[in-house]
Amino acid sequence: MKKLMMLGMVCLMALAAGAQFTKAELHATGLTCAMCNNAINKALQALPFIQSVKSDIKNSSFHVVFRDGQEVNPDAMKKAVEDAGFSVGKLELYGNEQPLSVGDDKHVTIGKSVYHFVNVGDRQLNADTKLMIIDKDFISHKQFKKISASTKMDCIQTGKAGSCCTDAGVPENARVYHVTI
Amino acid sequence: MKIYQIITSLALLLQVAAVNAQQAPRGQEVPNIADPRLQVKLPDVNGDSLSLISYKGKVVLLDFWASWCMPCRAANKKLVKIYSKYKDKGFEVYGVSLDEEQKDWVKAIAKDKITWLQVREHGNAWEAKVAQQWAISAIPTSFLINKKGDIVAMNLESDELEKAVKELLEE
Repeated sequence: MKKLMMLGMVCLMALAAGAQFTKAELHATGLTCAMCNNAINKALQALPFIQSVKSDIKNSSFHVVFRDGQEVNPDAMKKAVEDAGFSVGKLELYGNEQPLSVGDDKHVTIGKSVYHFVNVGDRQLNADTKLMIIDKDFISHKQFKKISASTKMDCIQTGKAGSCCTDAGVPENARVYHVTI
Repeated sequence: MKIYQIITSLALLLQVAAVNAQQAPRGQEVPNIADPRLQVKLPDVNGDSLSLISYKGKVVLLDFWASWCMPCRAANKKLVKIYSKYKDKGFEVYGVSLDEEQKDWVKAIAKDKITWLQVREHGNAWEAKVAQQWAISAIPTSFLINKKGDIVAMNLESDELEKAVKELLEE
C-alpha cells in the first residue's frame, strides 16, 4: 500500500513539474493610500519574473502577469511591496495550465516551489483556480489565526518544511508556501 | 517676503525636465512654467484645451489628483474653500486628473463642487506624459506657482497653502 502511495506521490510531483503560474492579483495595505502611489507598481515591475503590473482601481488591487517560463517567487513579491512601504493584504496566484489534483495537507511542486494545500478538500485545479497564499504576512493577522487552525502541521507557522512535510518528500527547511482556494 | 524652500523634489523635477541634457539658463535656479519642458496643454471636460502658461500673471496651483484617490478628495474640500476666497484676487487652480474613466472624473468634479479648470490626459494614469513630465509618483501632488511663473512650493495644503497664496498674491 505504501509503495502505491509513493508511486502516486512521485507521479503527482512529475505532473506538477511542468506547471507554473501565469498571473496574480495582489492587494496591498498600509498607513497611506496604496493605490495613490506608483511605488508598488514600480517595485513589482522591477522583479525579473514579472512581465507587467496594472492597477485595478475598482478592486483596489494589482493585476500581475508573469513572464513565461520564469520561476514565480511570492516571497520576492512580498518583499517588493514591503520595501515600497506597504504590506500584502492578499496574494492570489493562478493561470496554472495543467490540471492538478490536490487535497488537504497535500504538498505539490509548482515551478520549483512547494505548495502545501490547506482546507481545500479533494479537488482538481485548473487555469482559473485562484490559489491564495495564507502564510504569515500574506494575509491579515486575524485571517492567519483562523486558517492556520485548519492544519495540524507545524510548517504553517514557520513557512518551512518540518518533520511534518518530509514524509511527502519535501527536504527539511525548504521553503513551503501554504495555500487555500 | 518669505522665500519658500525649494525641496529636493524640485531638483529632481529639473532633472526629469532636462532629459535632453540641455542646461537651464544661467542664473535661473527655480523652474518656471515658461520652460518649454514644463508645457502642459490638455483637454478639459468638453475637450477644449487650455495651457498652464496661459495662467501666467496669476498665482496658480497645479494640482494632480484622481477621483479614486481618497486623500485627494479630502484635500479638494479645503481647496474649494481657498479657491472661492482668493479666486477674485488672482488665484487660479489648474487641476490635472489621472482618472482613466471620463465618467468617474466628471462625477467627482460635480460631487466635490469643483469650479476651477480641470484637465485630463487620455490613457494610463501613471504613464501619462504629463505625469512623467512632472515626475508624479504619488497623488495628491501640487505645485504652487507665483505671478512670474516660478514654481515656489510643493504639496502645501489647507492653512499652509492659504497662507502662501495670500502672501504670493500680495507680491
